[in-house]
Amino acid sequence: MAATERAALFTETACDHNNAKSAKARKAGCPKPKPGGTSGGCTFDGAMITLVPIADSAHIVHGPIACAGNSWDGRGSLSSGPTLFRHGFTTDMTESDVVLGGEQRLFDTICEVIERYAPPAVFVYSTCVTAMIGDDLGAVCAAAAEQTGVPVIPVDAPGFVGNKNLGNKIAGQTLLDHVIGTVEPGDVTDLDVNLIGEYNIAGELWDVVPLLTRLGIRVRSCISGDARYRDIAAAHRAKATMVVCSRALLGLARGLEERYGIPWFEGSFYGVSAMGDTLRGFARLLDDDELSRRTEELIAVEEAAVEAAIAPYRARLAGRKAVLYTGGVKSWSIVSALQDLGIEVVGSGITKSSDGDVDKIRELLGDTKMISEGSPRELLRVAEETGADILVAGGRNQYTALKGRLPFLDINQERHIPYAGYTGMVEFARRLDMAIASPVWEQVRRPAPWDLVGAH
Amino acid sequence: MAEIITGERRAAIDPLKFSQPLGAALVFLGLADSLPIMHGSQGCASFAKALLTRHFNEPIPLQTTAISEVTAVMGSGEAMVATLDAIRKKQRPAIIGLLTTGVTEVSGEDVGGQLRTYLATWADADTDTAPLIIGVSTPDFLGGLSDGWSAALEALIRAVVPAPMTAEAGSDAPTALIAASAPPAATLPAATSAATSSAATSSAATSSAATMLAGAARAIPAAAPATTTVPASPLSRRAGTTDEDAADRELVAVLAGPALTAADLDEVAGLVRAFGLDPVLVPDLSASVDGHLAPAWQPTTTGGAGLAELRSLRRAGAVLVAGATAAPAGELLAARTGARLLRHRHLSGLTETDSLVAELMALTGRTAPEQVRRARARLADGLLDAHFVLGGVRVAIAGEPETLLAAGSLLRDVGAEIVTAVSPTPAPALADAPWAQVVIGDLAEFAERAQAAGAELVLGSSHARGIAERIGAAFLPIGFPIFDRLGAALAGTAGYAGSLRLLLDAANRVLDHGHAHARPGHPPQPASPGSAAAGHLAATEIPQQGRGTAEPDELDNLFQESPC
Repeated sequence: MAATERAALFTETACDHNNAKSAKARKAGCPKPKPGGTSGGCTFDGAMITLVPIADSAHIVHGPIACAGNSWDGRGSLSSGPTLFRHGFTTDMTESDVVLGGEQRLFDTICEVIERYAPPAVFVYSTCVTAMIGDDLGAVCAAAAEQTGVPVIPVDAPGFVGNKNLGNKIAGQTLLDHVIGTVEPGDVTDLDVNLIGEYNIAGELWDVVPLLTRLGIRVRSCISGDARYRDIAAAHRAKATMVVCSRALLGLARGLEERYGIPWFEGSFYGVSAMGDTLRGFARLLDDDELSRRTEELIAVEEAAVEAAIAPYRARLAGRKAVLYTGGVKSWSIVSALQDLGIEVVGSGITKSSDGDVDKIRELLGDTKMISEGSPRELLRVAEETGADILVAGGRNQYTALKGRLPFLDINQERHIPYAGYTGMVEFARRLDMAIASPVWEQVRRPAPWDLVGAH
Repeated sequence: MAEIITGERRAAIDPLKFSQPLGAALVFLGLADSLPIMHGSQGCASFAKALLTRHFNEPIPLQTTAISEVTAVMGSGEAMVATLDAIRKKQRPAIIGLLTTGVTEVSGEDVGGQLRTYLATWADADTDTAPLIIGVSTPDFLGGLSDGWSAALEALIRAVVPAPMTAEAGSDAPTALIAASAPPAATLPAATSAATSSAATSSAATSSAATMLAGAARAIPAAAPATTTVPASPLSRRAGTTDEDAADRELVAVLAGPALTAADLDEVAGLVRAFGLDPVLVPDLSASVDGHLAPAWQPTTTGGAGLAELRSLRRAGAVLVAGATAAPAGELLAARTGARLLRHRHLSGLTETDSLVAELMALTGRTAPEQVRRARARLADGLLDAHFVLGGVRVAIAGEPETLLAAGSLLRDVGAEIVTAVSPTPAPALADAPWAQVVIGDLAEFAERAQAAGAELVLGSSHARGIAERIGAAFLPIGFPIFDRLGAALAGTAGYAGSLRLLLDAANRVLDHGHAHARPGHPPQPASPGSAAAGHLAATEIPQQGRGTAEPDELDNLFQESPC
């Protein structure tokens, strides 16, 4: 992907965050990685996160061992069937490949994988090293596809072009350019939908799909969680798209709208009210009165059930204080989920939020402490200052909290517990309560005997 | 003894190999108040950090120079300088490891030269606060974790233990090191001469010291010039340098390889102490990522070998190589200090530990204290108990070279049969493995071979668990990474007590597996006569057990021939 095409990915008209920026800031794109001050994943990582959950496909990393060897089978996206995506296919380039070029090796690898596993498609990822030595990813993929008759999709997202977010964008664009629209499904219904930005972490999708099924809504494609190649290739025949907590993939939703006339909305599966809004969002876009009626019925039943289930937790959690550190849209649904439980959000990260978002946080949370720097030291300082009972953040900060003897709840993609949908909300409440009320904190906060000597 | 088989290289399907910078980072994680930096794109560090965090269940200090596509092509020097400046200002580590990656190696930039230039710009700065910065060349497209570990450890020794003046010109040119310096270390070559001459003096003065030097000369002839006296330089850093740098007979440099866990390091250090000696472990992962709740969070490592201990290595009276991966660094240190070299490819099992204990006895003239004797007696008894369970068991092991040697040798000691051993990368020590062959390959190759050989016990990282399930074998996690159970750092594999724990773990896995899975043919089925031939089924006919928990993998024709 040429630099100009990548720049175009940042001109995302559908993105509030983007629109809130000045023209200059827009041109600059995502924040540039800062030497010595960066902890996030690279563009390659982002592309893998979005595409690898296409579970029946082979995902081949063209590069030296670090890129696949240090990362394979490390993501929490689950599959209900095929496991091919969990292999760590890589060309494992050595010095001679670097000197002589890796194209032949890549071609042979693609053919070997296809022969051995007969996947419906192969995704091939470039890396920094293969980008630098100038291997022609597109040409090799085209040649391999011709030779084998299997779609071979080049994903040109080498790590050094930017952060994880850009990798999500490139992955979305790759699907639009190479995959979506290449399969015509024979079973189209009027209630087919796409989910974008749902990765089926810890099996969350499986707490949501049954709700949709009860309404008669069928998930045509989920980009990408528990996904199948042919479903995604047929995503252009869906009747509505939901973007799940992902600014980075708005471009994909907009592309589906522009190319295939599929309307879309942004929603979330976290929290009682957000879940209701999401279900109503589908009903609205699918424009079906009967569906709307069923939706309201389902929401009423589920909300009553979830209210009853979380009532005991609410009694225990009310008045507790949480510091929230997460990014973008997700913070909103989590804030509302926490408030549903009577928890006060005393600090919130704003590193990934636009100015408009910060205003909204102030509006919603009042005097909440804004955390603009996500360093572990700063998080712990804010937690101490505000007397927080828990840190709710991504797995990256788990050990920050533990070493600070602070209860912690993981809400990002490394976690093993599903929080989506109504059942997820109950689990969320249960886990928050368990984290805060655990007897372990009293243990680890006790001074050691030798620290007590002379203190009595 | 083992034949090394490098299969026709094909793409990796399920990689067993990890990158060189990851191994190098581990070495720096075993130093106190240290911060490794991966000189590459931000993903190089974030993937490594995530993986290390999953294994250790600890926060991992690891930074990145965040190379972009522009800096990768136009020159990464500025990003390196910006990173080092930022880190010296913010995290303020005492030790920094700058590790190159594929990105910064492929362009052929002179990272070493850039680092030397950077160091030169603040050579006049306050040396007390200046960190020790060590650059290591670790391209991703060469070698693997063990090679990176080896290179980093050697670079570290090269940086903190100056070469004898006479040998310096030739000895400082090997591949691993690109630059290693810090203002305090910059003046070290001068101090070297003092060290060398004082070592010579003391060896002349006391006969026992002379014996040690003679021992060193046997191990590494190149160390003989320890007696080549160079006049003490007037540039010696401080008054009293000569005393400071005098060889300390009791100081034992323990250079550890990656197979040793925190618990292993504790035991090795304990053994050395049991003879009245004073061990300095490098690296010391038992003090940093062993899983301990420190008083407060900090952005650098919370323990490990500190600067003062590293500088004390030049006075080492003996060098213990605890793992084949540490051998190059150990040889270098022994050559530079004239210390006696005790070489161990691994420290698992009775024989290996006995040989270390014998060496320590010879070194000190002391006999083994009671607790050492007791530990040995327990291991000996455990060997006997375990041989009933593990004798004849067909074992498949995948792991780093040193891990293979350690665990494979120990299991072989009780009569287990090592039918499959796969290493991600070649290493000279693998040829000494006491079984027929070692294959250089990935986990897919391992799975094929283990199944074909009818393996009953699989040892490997958490990535190998699925393989054991699919082929119906018992499974014992060893090596790296272990992310589906807790306490990997506290598992034992070495010394008398650690070997015993590994042995009992392995035996218990086999017993558990036996309890959970009926023995084929028991009770006899009509179709299976109790013929003795049933015990000698061809590999492909080995009945598969334990399929109950395995997920059928329709697409994976690798295992289709096994009956479900």
